[in-house]
Amino acid sequence: MMGDVAPRERRHYWLSLAALVVILPATVLASSWDSLMQWRANHYRIQISVERQAAQRYAGADWKLSELTRLPGGMPEESVVLVEFEAAVDDPAILSKSPCEVALTDEQGRIWKPVFLTEPIVRELHPEAAEKQGCSNFAFEGSSKGSRITMAETFTVPTAAENLALSVTVFGALPDYMLLK
Amino acid sequence: MMSRFREIAAVFLVAAILYGMQRTTPLYSEITSLVPAYGEQGKRIDARAFAFAVVNVHLARMVRTESFGRTQDFTTSGVWVLIEGAAEAKRESLTLTTANWLGPSGISYALSQRFSILPGLLPNQRLEPGLPKPVLLAFEVPESEVSGATLLVPRNYMTPLDEEIRMPVTNIDTNAIHAAITLKRSTVGLPWILETE
Repeated sequence: MMGDVAPRERRHYWLSLAALVVILPATVLASSWDSLMQWRANHYRIQISVERQAAQRYAGADWKLSELTRLPGGMPEESVVLVEFEAAVDDPAILSKSPCEVALTDEQGRIWKPVFLTEPIVRELHPEAAEKQGCSNFAFEGSSKGSRITMAETFTVPTAAENLALSVTVFGALPDYMLLK
Repeated sequence: MMSRFREIAAVFLVAAILYGMQRTTPLYSEITSLVPAYGEQGKRIDARAFAFAVVNVHLARMVRTESFGRTQDFTTSGVWVLIEGAAEAKRESLTLTTANWLGPSGISYALSQRFSILPGLLPNQRLEPGLPKPVLLAFEVPESEVSGATLLVPRNYMTPLDEEIRMPVTNIDTNAIHAAITLKRSTVGLPWILETE
């Protein structure tokens, strides 16, 4: 049967088949382009690494980690970490409008979120820090250029966790986020 | 003649395949359902985001809670299944808000929320990476659903293709159903004390 077909026609046949290899993946890519871009916007992050005691410009403020204190936790293998940090506000517009998220990370890339209730030991040993608020847009509400906002967050981590750093993400400043060492 | 017959046969074959594929197309919810991570009772079961282990499974006709000097009795027309275990987050702090008891008949029972104020209950326990925490799970199920069940612990039911731990409950003595189990708060060691009667 194939013997009757002109060579030209046969070449077209194979060309079409080969074209499918390119066109099918291209179609999938084109139809999922919006989702891919959405995923990238949600997941793509650029890290700004900040050394200890240095101030960093981010989201309209100068940020600094002032104190990272380890306290004994409820269990022997558990530590309570109190992190105090501050922001000198330059442009309150972004800060007062967009949510802020903080987390503690270690060298293995593990992520600890802040605890809901301040640990009793923090209230006992650092009552002034226990009074400080966490990082949120409420913390910056009503702030003006030049004001200094001090914040504190508490975390529960394994005592063995090392090289702890505070990651700060202000959603209005994405894809950038800060890692305060 | 023979080739004509073959062509017709090929058309029927293709039609049959297409029909079969149409009838067996999985639902979108099935394609994106949770990915199971199987494990055994008494051993650590690892999912990507968390690990979970069952230590003890207790059965009782009644659960009594003692909390802040207040005693409450929780009766049931079925059986209480109390599971003592441990859980740990692996990469990021998380809370396991749900778990299910999948009975032998295929019916799934959600966690009981009748004594939700006790410490250590799975949805109340915030899990941190590197810190295994004791967890307590309570189910209220008909007696016929006790043996041959599977415990399901998903990270959550919202995210498609997320993981779910599936553990067949093999080590359970259905003849030893306690008349009552008392749960108390504890300040040292485990956050609860479990006493059988």
